Parts: sequence; C-alpha cells; structure tokens
Amino acid sequence: MRVTFILGEIASGLRRNVSMVVSVILVTFVSLTFVGAAGMLQLQITQMKGYWYDRVQVAIFLCGEGSTAPGCVSGPVTGEQQAALADLLESPAVAQYVNDYHYETREEAYEHFKEQFANSPIVDSVTPDQLPSSFRINLKDPEKYQIISETFSSQPGVETVVDQRQLLERLFSVMNGASLVAIVIAGIMIVCAILLIATTIRLSAFSRRRETAIMRLVGASKIMIQLPFVLEGVIAAAVGAVLASATLWGVSQFFLGDVLAKQYPDTAFISPSQTLVLAPLLIALGILLAGVSSIVTLRRYLKV
Amino acid sequence: MIRFENVTKVYDRKARPALDSVSLEIQRGEFAFLVGASGSGKSTFLRLVLREDRATSGGVFVAGQNVASLSSWRVPRLRRGIGVVFQDFRLLPQKTVFANVAFAMQVIGRNRSIIRDAVPEVLKTVGLEGKEHRMPHELSGGEQQRVAIARAVVNRPGILLADEPTGNLDPSTSQGIMAVLDKINQNGTTVVMATHDTDIVNSMRKRVIELQDGHVIRDEARALYTSLIPSVPPAERRDGEGGRA
Repeated sequence: MRVTFILGEIASGLRRNVSMVVSVILVTFVSLTFVGAAGMLQLQITQMKGYWYDRVQVAIFLCGEGSTAPGCVSGPVTGEQQAALADLLESPAVAQYVNDYHYETREEAYEHFKEQFANSPIVDSVTPDQLPSSFRINLKDPEKYQIISETFSSQPGVETVVDQRQLLERLFSVMNGASLVAIVIAGIMIVCAILLIATTIRLSAFSRRRETAIMRLVGASKIMIQLPFVLEGVIAAAVGAVLASATLWGVSQFFLGDVLAKQYPDTAFISPSQTLVLAPLLIALGILLAGVSSIVTLRRYLKV
Repeated sequence: MIRFENVTKVYDRKARPALDSVSLEIQRGEFAFLVGASGSGKSTFLRLVLREDRATSGGVFVAGQNVASLSSWRVPRLRRGIGVVFQDFRLLPQKTVFANVAFAMQVIGRNRSIIRDAVPEVLKTVGLEGKEHRMPHELSGGEQQRVAIARAVVNRPGILLADEPTGNLDPSTSQGIMAVLDKINQNGTTVVMATHDTDIVNSMRKRVIELQDGHVIRDEARALYTSLIPSVPPAERRDGEGGRA
C-alpha cells in the first residue's frame, strides 16, 4: 500500500510539473555529459599512457654531418665514440636503470621515418644520411630520464638526448586542459541543475500544499510526506544521467570507434564498453545531486 | 486527555502573549466549547495541542505526554491520535469523497482492505452513505464538512479538534453537523470545538471555556455562550484566584 501510494504521488507530481521535469532532465543531461566527457578524456590519457610508456624510449642521437651541438665539434660520431657509449650503457652505474637498449642505424631510422610518414610527400625529400643514428633505451623507470640525460649529454659524439615521453606529455597536457575545461563547464551546469531541481521541488511542493497540509494533520511521517518530492527530483536527474551515459557511449562508438580510429590506426582509443564504466558513476552523481538539493529545499519549504 | 499547566505562548515579544499562563484540563470523553472573540487565543490553544507551535513556557499534556518536549519525529504519532476539522473544510478538490477520506488512511500506511472497510463505515456515521463517488464541488457545504469530519475521525483518534466547523454553514445545517460531532463524542472521542456560534453553544449545554486576551475568564459545565454570572475583570481575577487548579 505504501509503495503504490508513494508511486502514485510521484506519478501525479511528475505529470503536474512536466515542463519543469523536462528542464531538470535536460540540465542534468548536459551537465553530466560534460562530467562524462572529462572522464572519457582521463580514460583516454590513461589508455595512451599504458600503451605508449612501454614503447616510448629515451633516444640518444649521435652526431652526424653538420651537427652543431657542443659534443659534435670533432665531426660525425666515430666508431670508438659509439663503442664508448655502448660501454657506458653497460656500466653498472647506468645499467641499473636500463631495461634494454639497441642501436638504431641511419638506415633503420630511415625505414621508421618512411613508415611513420607514409602518406606524406616529405618522405621523398629525405635521405638516410640526413637522419642521425641513435641509441634507443628503454628505462626500467621512465621517471629516471634525468640521470640518463645528465650522463650522456656531455659525452663526445652525442648530439642530444631526447625523452620521447616529454613529447607525449605535451599531448597529455593538452588533453588534461580539455578535461579541465569540461569540468569547469560541468561545474557551472551542475550549479544550474541544483538550482533548477530546487525550484522544481518548490513548485511541486507548492502545487501540492493542500495534500501535504492534510498529510501533516493526520500524522503522516516525514518520510511519507517528503519522499515523493525527493524521488521526483531523483528520477528526473537519473533520466538525465542515463541520457548522458547514452550520449557518451554514442560518441565512443561512432566518433572514436568509426571515425577517429580509422584516421589514426596507431592510436589506442577507448572502447565503448570502457565508456560504459562511467555510466553508473554519472547516474550515482545525478541521484546524489538531486537527492541532496531536494532534501535541502524541502527542509526550507515543506514544514513537517 | 488535554491538560494545560501555566501555558504561555508569545508570538511577538512586543505584543501581549496569545495565551497567558493558562491552566485547564479536559477529561477523556468530554465535549468542550472554546469561545471568545477573535484573537482571544482559541486558535493558539488548538495549535499548541496539535504541536503546530510549542508553548513559550508551561506544560501542554495530550494523552499524558508533554507535547512541548516531544521530539519532532514523534509528532506524527501524536497527530494520529488527534482529528482536526476546519471552517473551510480543506478537502482535496480532485479526489472523490471516498478518496478524500481514504487519503487520511493511505498516508499513514494503512492496508487497502482496512481502508475499504473503514471508509464506508465512517461515511455512514457522518450520514453520507451512497455519496462515496461524488466530487467535493458536487456537495453542499454541510456535506463537505461531513466529509471533513469523516476524514478527521477515520483513524479513530482519541481527540477531535474543531476550529469553527459551522462558521460557513447556515443554522439548520450547523445543527446537523453538531449532531454528528455529538455522535462522535458519544462514541468516546474527546471533542474540543472553538466557535462563535451562540445558538449552537446554547442548544448543546456542554462545558464552555471562555478566553479573553489569552486568559481563561470562564470555565463552566453545561453552560451557555454568555455567562449568567457577571464576569470579573481578568486583572482582579488573577490576583484573587491563587490556588485554583
């Protein structure tokens, strides 16, 4: 009886307030979509880190013709210099940080370059001797890049030491910036959602003031009086959260999956199923927002 | 059933109190009229019993419980033991007679089967048999008030508070309402009725408690609306009454 009665009250409340309920749904939908977008960007960053950090290396580029770095004053790298560098890599002081390394010749570098820029006309104008040979080092702990850099930068025959991770970090910082923007927008929209839910609950409480007055008089419990209002807000917000989750799933399915993944086959994009991990979080967030704001509103506008 | 011990209620510190050190007791099963001019404190009395307000000082005891010290989550339980009827009926316009009465049972979680039995029974008590499916606007004022009374007593409260229940009704309809209230009182419910209706008070010959400016100036059994005994000004009365319970 209680359950059917409360459900009936909720249904009549939602029916009386359709336009407000729709606006609550839309506002929570938009705000939670932004929250979810920030979440997706973070998932994507984590995914790319996992994918790239295993593959990304520290590269020690060796001097070629025309190198102007201080270590290259004696011209292109010699066989002895190269052997000395290999010895240094094998020495205990350095080896403890190194997982493995290999030497990349100019020809190999050229092959990689051709692969990477296969679609670009630049390939035709590059020859192997324009590309430097290098040591490619895979570190046990990528954070220890500084030690390698300090040890090798000043060695003769070394043009420069590059942490490829830093190139990725730049990309990640762009993505982090984007997710920060999404979070800020989401924050503003969430404030809108909270205020709108509060207004909706107020209107709903006002339009049913006769009922609640009688409920109070005949001794209905606080829960019995307030629960229909709280659930009204919660249901609207939950619908908004479901719509937001569906939108995010759509983005990862059709935009990331069908469009971006084809354009950038090398990049590991997050899958639609990974995006769905966000759905319960968004729904929980929506319910929490609506629940808290309606309880606070009722405390002020619905005397029990 | 209802006991006031030196109850004072102040709404506004600058104005005089709505009730000033009122002490009285209404026994279980009694029928009492609360009379007095507007602003004399009748409504405040009823609000204190219902715990719509808390007394500024003194004790308000309803069925042995001090209402003033009742924690707010226990207030619903108190109110389940009290039925209330108003001058303006306060029915839900979009619900039928049956639904209006049933509403009072639904919201305190009564079973559907109990509601199906109790509502027709109470409608019979108030004289509305066969009008279960009418809407409030299809009923006369007297009939609407009967619905309100039915709703107030359907949960079998020990106390029925009526705040000028005949205020909107013509004299003959009012007599019908009084007959219903009397019947409810005969069944053992304590009835407290605030009223301005001289004829009704005079015809019922029940206990009359007269309030003036927040003081009880008269409390007589089987009395009339206006006292046969010349009244004493409240100021003198307070000095002289001393040990009166």
